[in-house]
Amino acid sequence: MVPFRAMSVTSEAPAAFRNAAGDPGALRLIREGVSDILSRRRLVRYLVQADMRKRGADTVLGNFWWVLDPLLQMVVYWVFVSIIVRRDLPDYPLFIFAAILPWKWFTASVTDGTTSVTSQDRLIKQIQFPKLVLPVAATTAGVVGFAFGLIPLGLLMLFYQDRISGYLLLIPIIAAVQYVFTLAVAFLLSAGNVFFRDLGNVSRHVLRLWWYLSPGLYSLAVLDELAFVQDNPWLKTLAALNPFAILFESYRAVIYGGTFPDWTALALLLVGSLIFLGVTTVLFKRLEPNFAKVL
Amino acid sequence: MLPPVPRTDPDQAIKVEDLGVQYDLRFTKKTTIRRSLGQLIGRNTPERFWALRHVSLRVLHGESLAVIGPNGAGKSTLLQVLAGIIRPSEGVVDVHGHVSGLLTLGAGFDRELSGRDNILLGGAFLGLDDVVTRAMLPSIIEYAELGDFIDQPLKTYSSGMRARLGFAIATSVNPDILLLDEVLATGDAAFRAKSKARVIEIVKAAKAVVLVTHDMSWVTEYCNRALLIEKGRVIMEGDPAEVVAVHQQHMEEARARKIAAAEAAGVDHRVAPAR
Repeated sequence: MVPFRAMSVTSEAPAAFRNAAGDPGALRLIREGVSDILSRRRLVRYLVQADMRKRGADTVLGNFWWVLDPLLQMVVYWVFVSIIVRRDLPDYPLFIFAAILPWKWFTASVTDGTTSVTSQDRLIKQIQFPKLVLPVAATTAGVVGFAFGLIPLGLLMLFYQDRISGYLLLIPIIAAVQYVFTLAVAFLLSAGNVFFRDLGNVSRHVLRLWWYLSPGLYSLAVLDELAFVQDNPWLKTLAALNPFAILFESYRAVIYGGTFPDWTALALLLVGSLIFLGVTTVLFKRLEPNFAKVL
Repeated sequence: MLPPVPRTDPDQAIKVEDLGVQYDLRFTKKTTIRRSLGQLIGRNTPERFWALRHVSLRVLHGESLAVIGPNGAGKSTLLQVLAGIIRPSEGVVDVHGHVSGLLTLGAGFDRELSGRDNILLGGAFLGLDDVVTRAMLPSIIEYAELGDFIDQPLKTYSSGMRARLGFAIATSVNPDILLLDEVLATGDAAFRAKSKARVIEIVKAAKAVVLVTHDMSWVTEYCNRALLIEKGRVIMEGDPAEVVAVHQQHMEEARARKIAAAEAAGVDHRVAPAR
């Protein structure tokens, strides 16, 4: 047996003076949440690594699927849109791929994030640890998947070499904004799923609807041609406020358009996402003490 | 390395005063959105239930307290409160020192990961420093008697191997205050003997122990004091032998009541008058 003070790190929040009285303020909860994650960086890393290893080991092709999957999806939409809808956009595969890649990341993170807390129910009932690390790990694992997705993007770009530009280097900036937004959504759903176990079903359908309402297969400009949008110009404003309208248009600008993204829109989305993240962090921290009771 | 712990009274390891834990059954029953909507439309009767109420206790350093009582009395809830897993609804819980519970063996294991990865992940969940966990690896692997299996995924393990690994991880910690919840219930006979010796070793090393068990011989043998809880209330506190005797008497009575109720026949001579 190794003699050491094992619990020295666990008890970073001293157990003394635990009582029922008083809820801490919102700012304190956010500060607590940040320190929860920073103090448990290693746990987040292990959880992400475990996730990677599982996905790689589970399938024969392993990581190869991560490369193949978005490409196959792109082919499906390409066939669907070019044959059935008969829209003709130049280099359409690249056009939709710029949206498929971030969307796959978002849906994977939201799906895994939703069950991230409930799937660790046994552990939560037995040891005290900051539960916030669970949705953070789920969302961060999605980033790795997104990074893998850049490989098929590179392959695809070989077919459209005239679209390769230095603007591609801006992808991480857009991805960072998306990460903040995704994290906020994951916090909300992971805490909500503890209390409402069918949240996963609901979110799956919401996600599908969201994808078609977002300018992934079409550009935001296409909406101007629709008669009912021309009659109701506020619909266009609403569509432009969709976080994924901003994200898709930004990704498309740097991957497909060879231009800078709309910095103002992106900055507004970042500010909005940070506020959203603050709100969901407070919500998560408020609900956290009840997790062990409900699970 | 150790964060400062406020110490008002150096002798007191745990002080619990008028503790109450309330469960709101509307939430704790696994709900769905569909059912919640149904509740909104229907009559909304708030169902609340006290798992623990008016519980006060003290554990001094060097003491070993046994918590006994029938199933569902609130014993495990009490340990969860002491471990900081559940926040009390009322009252004050004051724990001086660094708490550790021995997990029910193998909680939080990931079946897809190897034994080694599970040890590292478990250590990270417990909040151990990575250097510490890695230093512990050889002794854990040896103690769990896993040999070459340590790098195989956990799904290939037998249940005995899994229990041994869980026990080895859980007992590799060395806390001030130790919370034990029925840790001796698993494993084969040979390993159970080995694990009992290990627990005794840890109990002796820890400054204070709170233990939940149904093994009454353990209570009388290794505990200084015992606490009897029934339906969330403290019934009795004191000398282990006396408390165990009362508990066993109550259990007898409950059994008799059950038999009587089942037979639904008059007064059974074993039924004691209502308290």
